[in-house]
Amino acid sequence: MDLTLLAQGLVSGVLAAGLYALVSVGLALAIGVIGVINFAHGEFFMIGAFLAYQLFVSLGFDPLLSLIFVAPALFVIGAVIYQTTIRYVLEAPELNQMLLTFGLSIVLQNLALVIWGGDPRSISGVPYRSVGYQIGGISIGLVPLGSFLISLVLVLALYAVLARSKLGRAMRAVAQNRIGASLVGLEVNRIYLVAFALSALLAGIGGVMIAVIQSPTPTVGFAFTLKAFAIVVLAGLGNIRGILWASLAVAVSESLVATLVPNGDALRNAVFFAIIFVVLVVRARRTA
Amino acid sequence: MRRALPDLLWTLLLAVAVALAPTVLRALFAQASVSYLSIAANAISLAILALSWDLLARTGQLSLAHAAFYGAGAYSAAILAKVSGLPLVLGLPLAALVAALLALGLGSVTLRLKGIYFAIATLAFTEVLKAVVQELPTGLAGGSAGLNVPPLFRPHFVPGVMQRWEIAFQRNEAYFYVYGGLLVLAVVVSIVTQRTRLRAAFTAVRTNEEVAAVMGVRPARAKLLAFVLSSALVGMLGALEAMRLGSVIPDGTFAISTTVFALVTPIFGGLYTTLGPILGAGVLSAVEETLRRTFAEGYLIGYGVVLVASILFMPRGIVGLFTRLARRRSAPSASDTEEAG
Repeated sequence: MDLTLLAQGLVSGVLAAGLYALVSVGLALAIGVIGVINFAHGEFFMIGAFLAYQLFVSLGFDPLLSLIFVAPALFVIGAVIYQTTIRYVLEAPELNQMLLTFGLSIVLQNLALVIWGGDPRSISGVPYRSVGYQIGGISIGLVPLGSFLISLVLVLALYAVLARSKLGRAMRAVAQNRIGASLVGLEVNRIYLVAFALSALLAGIGGVMIAVIQSPTPTVGFAFTLKAFAIVVLAGLGNIRGILWASLAVAVSESLVATLVPNGDALRNAVFFAIIFVVLVVRARRTA
Repeated sequence: MRRALPDLLWTLLLAVAVALAPTVLRALFAQASVSYLSIAANAISLAILALSWDLLARTGQLSLAHAAFYGAGAYSAAILAKVSGLPLVLGLPLAALVAALLALGLGSVTLRLKGIYFAIATLAFTEVLKAVVQELPTGLAGGSAGLNVPPLFRPHFVPGVMQRWEIAFQRNEAYFYVYGGLLVLAVVVSIVTQRTRLRAAFTAVRTNEEVAAVMGVRPARAKLLAFVLSSALVGMLGALEAMRLGSVIPDGTFAISTTVFALVTPIFGGLYTTLGPILGAGVLSAVEETLRRTFAEGYLIGYGVVLVASILFMPRGIVGLFTRLARRRSAPSASDTEEAG
C-alpha cells in the first residue's frame, strides 16, 4: 500500500520534472549565452498558456495544433523584446537588468490581466484531458505523460543543437568570449537575438502545456520564473545537462512530500526551496 | 567633518518636515488630508524599505530576502500582542531583535555566496520561512489564515468638539509621525555608514572582497553588520505595517512583491546613496498614485513602462541623472565628449 503510494509519488515527480526542465533550459540560455538576468522569463510561459487558451476558445484549436502558432508567436515576441529593451542592458550591472526585467514582467502580467482577467482559465474541453492509464495501482495521466515527452524531446533537441549545429557552436562561442567571437566574424548581436527568442519560444511551449495541465492565471509566470531561476542556479550556470538532474531532484522531492506527508500539498514550495537553499549553502562551504 | 554639517542639516530638515506635514496638510486640505496622510505613510514605508535594502546592497549582497525580515518583524509583533499583555509598542524593538538575529543566522551561512547565487539562496530562505510560519501551531501564529493585530493608536471621538473625520485624521497623523520617525532613524543609520570608515569597508567588499581583505577590512564582519542593520530596520517596518493594516497573513506578509519593491526603488532612485532610495520612493509612489487615479484598470502597465524606460534612459537612477546634469552645467565641454564616447 505504502509502496504504491511511494511509486506514485516518484512517477508523478518524474513527469512534472519535464516541464520544469523545459522552462529552465530557456532561462539558462538567456543567462548562459546572453548573460542577462531575465526575471520576465516566466511571462513568456504565461503568454504561451493564454494564447493557447484563446485559440482554443475562439477557434476551437486543439492545444497540440496551437503549438504550431504559439511557438513562432513567442519567438517573435521574444525577438521584439530583445530588440527594444534587452540589448541595451547587456553591458549594464545585474541590478539594472533585474529592474528592467521586473518592469517587463509587471507590464506583461498586467496586460494579460486586462485582456483575460484574473480568473483561472483552462482548456477543459479537450477529450484527452481525463484519459489516464493504470499500471499496477499507479495512475498515469495522458496529459502529464505527453507534456513530459514533449519537454524531454525539446530539451534534448536544444542540447543537440548547442552541441552539434553551427548556430549552437556560435552560441557557445559567444557565451564563452564575446569579444573573441566577434573577432572571428560572428555577428554577436544576431546570435543573442536568436538565443533570446529561442528561450521565449521554449517557455511559451511550456505554457501551452500548463494550460492543459492546470488552470493558469496571469500570475502563473512569475512563480515559474522563481522556480526556473532556482533550478538554473542549482544546476550551475551554463550547465544544460545539470538542469535535467536538478529538475528531476526538485520535482520528485516535491511530489514525494505532497503524496506521502499528510497535508503535504501545502509544503510543495517549502520543500522545493529548502532543497535549493541547503544545496547552495553546502556547496559554497565545500568549494571554499 | 566639513561634509558632516550638511548631513546634519538635511536630517534635521527631514525631521522638521515630518513634524510639520500633518498640520500643514490639514490646514490646506481639511478632510482630504486624511487620505493624503495615508498616501504619505505608504511612500515613507516604501522609502524605509528601499533605504534598508540599499544599505545591504552597499556590501554587494543582492538580497531577495527583504520580505522575510519584513514578515518576521510583522509576525513577532502580532504574536507578542496575542500571547502577552505587554504594551503593543514593545513589538517594534522585538521585531528589530528577531529580524536582526535571523539576519545574523542567514548572513553567516550565505557569506560565501555571490551575485545570483546569493540572491536565489535568500529568495529560497523567504519561501521556507513563510512555510515555517504557516505551519506553526494555529493557536500561536494562526496558520494560513493569519492573525489580527491590534492598532497602535485608538483615537476617541469627542462629541461636540471633533468632527467625524477627525478620528481618522488623528489616527493617520499618529502613524505618520511613527513612520516619519523610523525613516529619520534609517536616514541616520545610512548617513553614519556613508560618512565613517564603514563606507570604505562596504565599498571595498562590494567591488572586490579579496582586495578588501588584503587592505585590512574584514569582509565577513562588514557584510554581517550591513545585513543586521538592514534587517532590523525592515523588521520594525513590518511590525509597524502590521499594526497599521490590522492583520498578518503568510501569503501577504511574506509576499515576494515586498522584495521586488525593495530592490526596484533604490535602483530607480540611485544605488548606494541615502538620497536615491528616498527620491525613488517619492517619485514611484507619486507615479503609482497618479496612474491609479487616471486609469482604474491596468494602471500597473504604466508603472512597468516607467520602470523599463527609467533603466533605458537613466541607467544610474534619478541621482545619477542629477549628477550628470550638474556636471554638464559646470563643465560643458568635458561632459559633451563624455556623451559622445
